[in-house]
Order: sequence, then structure tokens, then C-alpha cells
Amino acid sequence: MKQTLQLIAAPTVMQPGGYVPEAYKDRTQASTPTVELTAEKAAARGWRIELQWACPQPVSSIANETDLFPDAAALMVPVVADAPWITMGQEDKPVEAALWRADREALYQLQAEGLGTMHRNDAPAGWSAQSQWADGVYRLVFQLKPWAALDQHGLLGIALWRGAESDRGGLKSVSSGWVSVS
Amino acid sequence: MKYAIEKPARQVAMVMDLNKCLGCQTCTVACKKMWNTDGGTDYSYWNNVETLPGKGFPKQWDEIGGRTDQGAVKRGKIPNLDSEYGRAWSFNHKAVIATDAASGKKEWLKPKGKPDWGPNWDEDEGTGTYPEDNHYFYMPRLCNHCTEPACLDACPRQSIYKREQDGIVLVDQDKCHGYRFCVEACPYKKVYYDYQRQVAAKCIFCMPRIEEGVAPACARQCPGRLRFVGYREDQEGPIWKLVDKWKVAIPLHPEYGLGANVFYVPPMSPEKFDSQGNGTGEPRIPTAYLEQLFGPDVHKALATVNAERDKRKRGEPSELMDILVAYDWNENFKLDGAVREVI
Repeated sequence: MKQTLQLIAAPTVMQPGGYVPEAYKDRTQASTPTVELTAEKAAARGWRIELQWACPQPVSSIANETDLFPDAAALMVPVVADAPWITMGQEDKPVEAALWRADREALYQLQAEGLGTMHRNDAPAGWSAQSQWADGVYRLVFQLKPWAALDQHGLLGIALWRGAESDRGGLKSVSSGWVSVS
Repeated sequence: MKYAIEKPARQVAMVMDLNKCLGCQTCTVACKKMWNTDGGTDYSYWNNVETLPGKGFPKQWDEIGGRTDQGAVKRGKIPNLDSEYGRAWSFNHKAVIATDAASGKKEWLKPKGKPDWGPNWDEDEGTGTYPEDNHYFYMPRLCNHCTEPACLDACPRQSIYKREQDGIVLVDQDKCHGYRFCVEACPYKKVYYDYQRQVAAKCIFCMPRIEEGVAPACARQCPGRLRFVGYREDQEGPIWKLVDKWKVAIPLHPEYGLGANVFYVPPMSPEKFDSQGNGTGEPRIPTAYLEQLFGPDVHKALATVNAERDKRKRGEPSELMDILVAYDWNENFKLDGAVREVI
């Protein structure tokens, strides 16, 4: 099922600490306004999730530089049905995510219970992603097997970071809520 | 929301007497060799000495930080490796080694390409017109281990913290994800980015040495004996005497409002000459410039140092001059334990 999603700028006012909310209070527009999402589940192969988004200036390497940030994309799922999406869960209401970064091959697996609590680990075997950038468009295909939380709830949150806009951490474009993919 | 920062049990601090800095960079090398020889931090100097007036390191750092002149948050800038920090230069070592002395073909060691910036690029340039008012002085800089650190407040992951036992500001690199808001926010530009390990890295005030009662390498190695290290609250120590009792040691850019715990005795300077070569009575380093750096307290600090120096010249005793002269430089450091080193 293919869906076109409008993305919003993650609200910087919610970011932990005093600096980011104030220094980036003008960041009210999503650096990536839309993304196309295709999610399919094949029993044997797990989830195949494809994202496509416009990115005129890809950043796929930050090696040997101090001020570059890579393009990135994350798929977040609630571990419990009422985990809040905008805060990346909360205490005792965790979320999980798969994070792809343009500067590395392997995915990360993330776990969080609220903003600033995210733990990042290597993704489990069976999680992979293939990316392609051409003519100003990223096409990214995740293969995720297994992912119990996604099987159970069928909900996804999307986050995209544009390196050329110095997106990182809470500076990101996100779906405006959980998206049903079941 | 701004983090609540708990006051540490005590605060380790440093005073540097700028009247004694030789610009020899021994501190810079001592620090670099001890903590920063890895790739990814090759460009960074937790301690550096810059010539002022000058552009500093990274270039124009005082214009690109995350605080306004009123201490408010503003969006800072992450310095660029080439144009602001200065990438480590490559040299023609192979060509030099291959020099054929017999044939007279000689290759001198030189950088590949034509460098146009680097740390200490404008060393000893200063400003003014010789001989009337030319001047410069050296400014050693390290992390100020602020009471309200801008870096700490910038990290959404709370990877930066102040140690309870001594107020040293540290990065938990296991938590850091390399977002670099700390690099952006620090108005002193004293948090760096390890581009290989992709984490923030900064001065640790030689924490393992402090725990043993030994002064940080930059202070211990200083041939000019210009550095004093101790606890801010210790009324028997040099920090309290210079900062609170005599009020001659003041922080750099106090207007940022972060409570820097590194202090400076501001530089005195000889007088300017007029066109006939006569002294004008005005200091060569404009006091207005020093006020830009150290705030309005610089006037009183300079007046006190001058008055005490004059007292000493008259043969009168001066506790302040005795401290600053540092006859026994073991007295420059008052930490836990009675570690006295060979003079």
C-alpha cells in the first residue's frame, strides 16, 4: 500500500536542554515536506518498507570533516499501543526504531522511552536497507525481519534528516502521527 | 527546557597571569601529547595559546558561539575544519628524504599546497604601528569548566555533566551521538568533534591527575609559572586569593554569563610613544580592548596589580606580588594531597 505523507518539523520547543529550543525556535518548516511510504508484509520475509523523498543535495559522507551531517531516515514503532509518537515514547511506554544513515551500511536499532533517552545499537540480523539517490530523489528500501512490535500494532512513525540542512537529533522532519500500515 | 545544574561540592579552577605568558606553546604540546594524538582529533587543541589582538583559534571564535553579549542563547556555528580550525598540513617528507646531496638537488621541507590558515596562523602579528603603539600579548585558552556550561545545556542527550566532586565538565562519549550542539553552543569554542569516533571531545582538566593531587599538564609544564590551580572555595589556596581576595584574576568574556572557572590576570603594557618618541602615559594595549575581553572589572584588576607592583618597587611587602612571582612554583598548585615536585 503506497501512501504519500505530509511531514512536519519536529517541534524544537520540546527538545531537552535550554539551547536547542531557543537557538532553533525558527525551525518551524519541515526540511523534507513529503515522503512516499510503501509497506508490505510477507510472512516469510518480514517487512519490506520503502521510502521515497526529494533531496536535492545528498550528504552520504561526513568523513574527516567537523561540520557535516549525513542524510538519515528512521522507522519508529510503538512497543505498547499507547506509546506517544511525538516524544518517542515515554517512561514505561517504549518505542523502537530502525535507523538508516547515508554514511554507513548497517542499520541501527533504537530504543527510547522519551526524548533524550534513545539507545542506539547495531540492528539485529535480518534487518537491512538498500538506498539509491538519483535525480534529486532518495529511494530507500528496508527489509526488516522480524519486528514483533510492528507485527503487533501495525503502526509506523517516519523521521527524515537532511544533512545539507544540518538536521540531526531533534532537528528532523517527522510524520504527523502514527501511520497505519496493517 | 534548561537543565537544572547541581552545584558541585567544590570547584576546581585555574588562574593564568597573562603578564608572564611567553607564548612558547609548551602547555599546548603537553596537552596535545597527553590527550589528543588520535586521528579525528588531530586538528583540535584542548589548550591553545593565541596572539591577541588576533583571529584566535578557531578563527573568530568569539563571533560564532552560542551566546550573545548579554548572555542570551543564540544559534552558534560549528567551525569548519579547513577555514576555521585549520586542517593539519601535509608535508613533502618523501621528497626531502629522496634528496640527492651528491647531485646538488635539494628539496626543503615544506607543506604540500599553499596553506592559508591554521592554528596560531597570526602568531606575533598583533596590531598597531611601530614604534608608537604596536602591541600584542598571548592568551592561553582551555575549557572554562563553567558553572553553567553552555555545552551541557545544549546536549539533548545529557551526555555532558559536571562532576560532583570538583565541577570538571566532562563528555560521556558512550552517550554522545555526535550531534555537535555542544560545539555550536560553547561561546569559547572549546568543545571539539572527533570526526573518526563521531563524538564530542573536550578538556578534562587532566582529571586523573587532579585525583592524584597533581596539576594539569598545561599548568605543570608551564615554564613561565603563570598558571595557578586549586579549588575556588579554598581560602588558603591561590585561586581564592587571586580571584576573591585581591580581585586581580577575572574571567574571559564574563558577559556570556556562564560562570567561567578559568581566570586571567590581565596584561599590563608599556606606554605608547608619540611621534617624537616620548612616552604618552597611555598603555600600549588599549584598556578598552581589554574591557571587551574581560569586562569592566579589568580596570580595577589592572589598577591593583600596578599599585602592588609599585609597592614592591619601593621595597614594601606585597602578598599579591609574592604570589604572582611564584618563587616556589609548588605554591602555584593547591590540590588534595601534598604532592610537591622537584623545582
